[in-house]
Amino acid sequence: MITVKNLTKVYKTTVKGKNFISDIFARKYKETIAVKNISFEVRESELVGLIGPNGAGKTTTLKILSGILYPTSGTCKVLGMTPFDKKPEFLKQISFIMGQRNQLFWDLPALDTFYLNKEIYDVDDKQFKQVVKELSDLLNCENLLDKPVKTLSLGERMKMELIAGLIHNPKIIFFDEPTIGLDIFSQEVIRDFIKNYQKHYRASIILTSHYMEDVKRLAKRLIVINKGRILYDGSQAEIVKKYSNEKYVTVILERQVEQKVLALISKPIVYNFPRVVFKIDKSEIPTVVKLITDNLSFSDLTIEEEPIEEIIKTLFRGQ
Amino acid sequence: MKKSLKLFYIYASLYFKMVFQQRLGIVLFTLGKIIRFLFLFLMIFLVFSKTRLVKGFSLNQMIIFYLTFNIIDSTAQLLFREVYRFRSQVVSGSFDLILLKPHHPFLRILVGGVDFLDLFLLIPYIVLTIYYILQLPNLSLLLTASYFLLIINSLIIATAFHIMVLALAILTTEVDHTIMIYRDMTALGRFPVEIYKEPVRAIFTFLIPVGIMMNFPAKILFNLLSWQFILFSIAISSLSLLFSFKLWDIALKKYQSWGG
Repeated sequence: MITVKNLTKVYKTTVKGKNFISDIFARKYKETIAVKNISFEVRESELVGLIGPNGAGKTTTLKILSGILYPTSGTCKVLGMTPFDKKPEFLKQISFIMGQRNQLFWDLPALDTFYLNKEIYDVDDKQFKQVVKELSDLLNCENLLDKPVKTLSLGERMKMELIAGLIHNPKIIFFDEPTIGLDIFSQEVIRDFIKNYQKHYRASIILTSHYMEDVKRLAKRLIVINKGRILYDGSQAEIVKKYSNEKYVTVILERQVEQKVLALISKPIVYNFPRVVFKIDKSEIPTVVKLITDNLSFSDLTIEEEPIEEIIKTLFRGQ
Repeated sequence: MKKSLKLFYIYASLYFKMVFQQRLGIVLFTLGKIIRFLFLFLMIFLVFSKTRLVKGFSLNQMIIFYLTFNIIDSTAQLLFREVYRFRSQVVSGSFDLILLKPHHPFLRILVGGVDFLDLFLLIPYIVLTIYYILQLPNLSLLLTASYFLLIINSLIIATAFHIMVLALAILTTEVDHTIMIYRDMTALGRFPVEIYKEPVRAIFTFLIPVGIMMNFPAKILFNLLSWQFILFSIAISSLSLLFSFKLWDIALKKYQSWGG
């Protein structure tokens, strides 16, 4: 579905000179490498999470894959076509939904944009009605369709954006931070929607998000990117196995104990009675568990993997 | 082509719906344009109350120059109003979403905001022009057909210029000043460039094609243009259009998609 080989994108920006004359006659440029020599593939019906800090190159990658940006070097093929050629048959099969941009006409009801997209994408009346009904049911937003977009809340607007972007039933969807700025309830709605949509329509999806919860809940496969380079490409389970050497041991105490008693076991990372959390090297788990049972009186004990956020942070620090 | 026309119509209807929500703005905007038109129209009569000819042109011819300018200028504004709003689309990054649509982006960013107010003004301009043209001596079918041909030629130059503005907006995020320069320059073509002295006249005919755009259609109607000049004006419009398409392609390749 998507094949990317040695893709590089360099942004060229002007640097302000000493004075107006030098700005005109001896303009200087600064080159910023947004994406450096990345390669990966995405299969049919796969949902991939593309994660990384600000400026990592996530959005640039999606913009190249959708044909918005022209790559500096390397190749990419999406559905067998070169995105930048912007062939209508390519653009009709993809969708790019951005949390920070909107395609809806601000002063008009979202339904007007849906009708416009129906014509742009040559969607027939029957399919149009069916898709709008299905998607608005999934998002529980039928009452919002005929309200002017400017009167909608951010979460409601995002629901309308999703419908507008999916009317043509795209084979490939790029989601760029679809939950940005939304409250936790709206985030949940959007996440569930993406999950159900992918299950129902079997679309291939690449999702970027700063909220790890989005990626954890939706993507089995992760591509971790930083400073334009891919640091990891594989399954969520594998990243934990490969990069996590520690586990979190949480103990619910029955009675308060002094710090020095806890220090006998290991230095806790959290102690907020009755909850104590230790971060322990995997190899030391049996010893620590024995020490806990010998020294502490507790009502509950759980051992968990290191949160994926922490593993990724470690990955970035180690780069 | 059929689909493009349909989309053009839908964009125009949506834009009309949006504009219609600001009724007071419509009234003031239209009133301003009517006052400006009438003021200059009456000024021509005032000037000709003191003389019979201005640089060899009669009152009737001067009015046709002025009305032809208004037809070309209003048609360009009617069609290309969306160009005035392009900067905000580039700066905010919403141009990205336009690039993703399976139609040519010009359908949205060039002709996607048809200004119906100019259509409302265009009708009286056309009626007045027909009235004054019919009063011309030695009017022939060939001259009238050439007049229409050169008006279309002028609109091609206007299209090319607006495409260049769009390309420059991508390369420099600048629209407002470029479009104002265009407006000021073309305004010099309200009356025949003969009223200016050399070298201004030559500059506005050959270097900046204001004369070709705004004066040539009326001149052919008065049989004052040789066939060499007609070919020259067609060559200028074709080259301008080709250059604008080339510049657009370059701009798209250099587009950096600002705003996140």
